[in-house]
Amino acid sequence: MARRESRFSQQVLIDTTPMPDHIPKVEEIGATSAPLLSAAYFIGDRCRAYNDDFMKCKAESNGRGELECLKEGRKVTRCAASVIKDINTHCLKQFTAHYECLENNNHRLWDCRKSEMSLNACVFEKLGLKKTIPDAPKDQTPVHLRPTQIYSRYPGKQWHAKPDGTPILDD
Amino acid sequence: MPQDMPPAGGYHQVQYKRNIPVRGFRPIVYVAGMVGCVAYGLYKQYYAAREQYEIGREKMWARLHILPLLQAEEDRDQVRRYYADKAREQSLLGAEIKVYNSDRFVRPTFAYTPAKVTE
Repeated sequence: MARRESRFSQQVLIDTTPMPDHIPKVEEIGATSAPLLSAAYFIGDRCRAYNDDFMKCKAESNGRGELECLKEGRKVTRCAASVIKDINTHCLKQFTAHYECLENNNHRLWDCRKSEMSLNACVFEKLGLKKTIPDAPKDQTPVHLRPTQIYSRYPGKQWHAKPDGTPILDD
Repeated sequence: MPQDMPPAGGYHQVQYKRNIPVRGFRPIVYVAGMVGCVAYGLYKQYYAAREQYEIGREKMWARLHILPLLQAEEDRDQVRRYYADKAREQSLLGAEIKVYNSDRFVRPTFAYTPAKVTE
């Protein structure tokens, strides 16, 4: 089959030329997939306006969004970085526990409800950011607040609640 | 000569039925059991499917919330490479060459690779 020699272009396609000086610099987010997934709803809560602005700019710039929406893109990145920084400052332990759980469970959110509950509680208390799933049916408990998860690897209650419904989280 | 007639009182009954004791329950019980199993399965499946919709929604929105961030990072990288390409063209050829007859940003589908990789 292979008539030609394989070429691993990722070794030669690296372009290390820095960004030209007329474009302001911004530090990239630098987080991997699991922390981003863990913080996604908090990023969405705080940065919704910037995100929408950026996507609107991209949609309206007629195929030149890469060049014309750099400013909006920098705002998006700075906002997300601020969320990650705040979570790292205030809720590092819960955050680490949750994204490590996600790492170990193939990014299945429903296997990590317990650590997610404590992360959500901490973030809401310290930063005021709340996880809400848009467009979810009003007559059901949102899926991230259900104590039993049908698809979880560990059936049964993921966490136990006090009589008034607040979860008991030993952390 | 008298004709051959059936015996008085008729012939014995011919036994065509098998005389085996009936095993198991009545068939209706099996049908009911099957219906019960299927009903239980459908009941569980109904709620599982509804939870799966919600899980899918949750996952989709998590992605949507970080999508502009990822897109912005990728765009910046593409723009950096684009300006680097332009500068390289300028220094090597002395002029900027437009490959496409359009103003749109076109993500390059080809790249010249150096013959000798130094680093």
